[in-house]
Amino acid sequence: MSEEAATRPGRPVIRIQNAVKRFAGRVVVDIDDLVVGDRPIEGLIGPNGAGKTTLMRMVMHSTSLDQGTITLYPQGQENDRAVVLSDLPTYRMARHGVVKSNQVIMDFEKLTIWDSLLLASAAAKYEHPHRIFDEPAVFAESADEIHMYLKLFGLGDPCGFASSAGDKKLLDIIRCVLLKPRFLLLDEPTAGLPDATTELVMGVVRSLAARGTSVVIVEHDLDVIWNLSDEVHFMAEGKVIMKGTPEEIRAHHTVVEKYLGEGHV
Amino acid sequence: MELLGKALVIGLTEHAPLVLAALGFALLYRLTGLMNVAYSETVTLGAYFGMWVNTTFGWNFYAVLLPAGILAGLVSVATYFGIFRPAKRRNVGNLELIIMSFGLSIFLRHGLQFIFGYPVRFYDVPPPDTIRILGTGVSSFRLLGLVSLAVVALALYWFIQHSRLGLQIRALASDENLAQASGIRPLFVTVLIWFIAGVAGGMAGAFYGVGSAVKPLLGWQLFLFILLVVLVGGTRGLGGVIVTGACTGIALAGLSLHFGQALYAQLALITGFILFLKWRSRRVAETGKV
Amino acid sequence: MNLDWLDAFLVYGFFAVVIFTGLAVLLHLQLGLTRIANFGVVGFFGVGMYGFGILYVRVDWPFGDPWQFLVCLALGTLAAGLAGAVVGWLISGMDTDGMLVGTLGFATAVYIVATTEKEVTGGAQGMGGLRFPYDFDSLSVKAHEALWLLIAAVLVALIFLYAWRVHRSPYGRLLIAIGSNEPLARSLGKPTFRTKLWLFAITSAGMGMLGAVYGVYERFLRPTNLGVDITLAAMVGLVLGGTARVWGALVGVVFTVGLFDIVVQSYLPLPREWYQQTIPVLREAVFGAALIIMLLFRPLGMLGDMRRDKLMRRLHGE
Repeated sequence: MSEEAATRPGRPVIRIQNAVKRFAGRVVVDIDDLVVGDRPIEGLIGPNGAGKTTLMRMVMHSTSLDQGTITLYPQGQENDRAVVLSDLPTYRMARHGVVKSNQVIMDFEKLTIWDSLLLASAAAKYEHPHRIFDEPAVFAESADEIHMYLKLFGLGDPCGFASSAGDKKLLDIIRCVLLKPRFLLLDEPTAGLPDATTELVMGVVRSLAARGTSVVIVEHDLDVIWNLSDEVHFMAEGKVIMKGTPEEIRAHHTVVEKYLGEGHV
Repeated sequence: MELLGKALVIGLTEHAPLVLAALGFALLYRLTGLMNVAYSETVTLGAYFGMWVNTTFGWNFYAVLLPAGILAGLVSVATYFGIFRPAKRRNVGNLELIIMSFGLSIFLRHGLQFIFGYPVRFYDVPPPDTIRILGTGVSSFRLLGLVSLAVVALALYWFIQHSRLGLQIRALASDENLAQASGIRPLFVTVLIWFIAGVAGGMAGAFYGVGSAVKPLLGWQLFLFILLVVLVGGTRGLGGVIVTGACTGIALAGLSLHFGQALYAQLALITGFILFLKWRSRRVAETGKV
Repeated sequence: MNLDWLDAFLVYGFFAVVIFTGLAVLLHLQLGLTRIANFGVVGFFGVGMYGFGILYVRVDWPFGDPWQFLVCLALGTLAAGLAGAVVGWLISGMDTDGMLVGTLGFATAVYIVATTEKEVTGGAQGMGGLRFPYDFDSLSVKAHEALWLLIAAVLVALIFLYAWRVHRSPYGRLLIAIGSNEPLARSLGKPTFRTKLWLFAITSAGMGMLGAVYGVYERFLRPTNLGVDITLAAMVGLVLGGTARVWGALVGVVFTVGLFDIVVQSYLPLPREWYQQTIPVLREAVFGAALIIMLLFRPLGMLGDMRRDKLMRRLHGE
């Protein structure tokens, strides 16, 4: 990432303050004050059960907060415009540009690849009961972009259904990209994908970030994190215990190895 | 105050079978997660079986209870083996299962009309004496009914909460795999639950039948209230069902007296319960896996 | 016009097929696409029927038919739509169990109100005074009914066409998405609650309109018209034909309601006395059994699942 892109002012930022989530009495997430999005691509790593996925779901408000607030600053914290995400329902996130990919495979089993992608890119104004003749308009608006991604990832016949787990995973990521995210949360986007496809996904993420999207990525494949991230947050037991550039985090052999096992640094 | 006393006495004596019916339904619901609409017909069947034994063999009402319950229980088990077990093996979805049970309910109800004919039928029991409690006249029969219902309901509650088989039932309801691993015979326990639920429903039906009249819509008209009681009270276990059921009975009686019209009481309760469910669904809204 | 060849029962049989096809198509949008379980179809049907009837009979309109009819029809439809919006608001956030209770409770509530409010609805005795909104002196009753059948058929054809278009629109895609994975649709920025609520309101309005049209044919409204058999007939038709297909509604209703109300009523040489009680009871029992058997052995109905792949190929294939 070039230097001026990284320091460009007005990057979308999410601030998580005093956020706590308990499941059955056990504290899963307990974040005092965390700001993500200052750098184009930030990695979030940590052992299983550290609360990474839960934290991301809390940002999307698909998991409710026990306490605390999560705020989006679409043009950086210096700017006054702020959206309190933790007061909004999940479906409003996409309209503010906050989008998350899914860790487990999620798909519409009744919808074809075309359907799935057109659904993601269709503007809300077309999806009303009286607009029953607007399929051509939606198609005209998004077909080129969709075609581009279909070609890039080499997905099969778009009139058919996504059959393999890998295709479904890719579809999930393409849906996120089609939503034109300002703040993209990726939860293990490349898990289960072949290396070549992982490269493609990383390429897409990089170009998004270069165009001003802030990306936070959770990934077990640490090579992806070291390659992609400008900054890494290390999470354990619901808290962010370390933060720094990939080099700085890797320098803390002891901590990282203690949590992630040997050979990860 | 007078109204309250009256509501208490009438509600408890008249609607006591509701508690028993709701207990049976709650048991089944907790184990299978299925809103079995056909349970309403188990109640109706109990009323018809009891009436049939009572009028054919001239048995006393209390002697009739047992065969009525057992026959209804057997029908309940038969529906499990005939329909719900095969459906579960074919991975029929929850919504489809409810529609199936809806179909079964309609089928049984109209099958009954074929067998027992269309007119309303009655039990053949001696006219009861009237006793005054809290200034309200109650038939001795209903009072005895309340006592026996309380005994049956409490016995059922005790059986589920404290007996060894009850423990197995609760284990199976909470985690099928774990229960299987710990040596519970799931088929036996499942059949047992369908049977007990059927017996409870059937006995409740017999009580309702002898209290008023036996008609094909008896269970169906009750079903909505069984459903509401179980959904509202069921989150607090069987004890919650008993308390909610009893309160519903009292409220039905009290509101009927207040409005002078039983249907208004039903309307008010249905509205109240559904609004409560809405309120609760908002409170526990956890939006799922995304 | 000579209509001697037309049996009065036959007109009713076709009329029933038309009305239940309409209900089944609307139920298809709720149940087949969006997976909203509506066990209270008759409630919305009843609000439309009684809403229309009460306005038509009890209110002194300054204008006569057909305006009186049209205004009352519009208001009756609106009433059913409002009821649908309220019930939709109640159940859209609930699971299937909650939907069962909510819709069943609503249908019961409608029945109760129709029975208790004697001054308005006529109570259990019922309410007369409805008539066809046209009067051609030269025509017989049967011809009037046949004309009404025609009007109902046009109306249901429009509903059918609408549902058919929905499958080919971004709106229908959203409905299917909500039906197959609501949390995922939500995460894509789709207001799923609001969409379900609106769909429920609109389809309920349609059911109400069909109720009003049905009421005109019946001419006399009784609470017994609000039995669970209405819900059952719409549901069994849809399930038999295939919940996921628009055509499923038509095919299924023809094979269920059509079989009983046309073939058995008019063409089978059965003893007269059977038609009083035996046939109606048998009809319901067979419908119930059909629901069970179909869902057990062929849960997607005669026509099977929706074929989005074929549809997409037709719409967007090279």
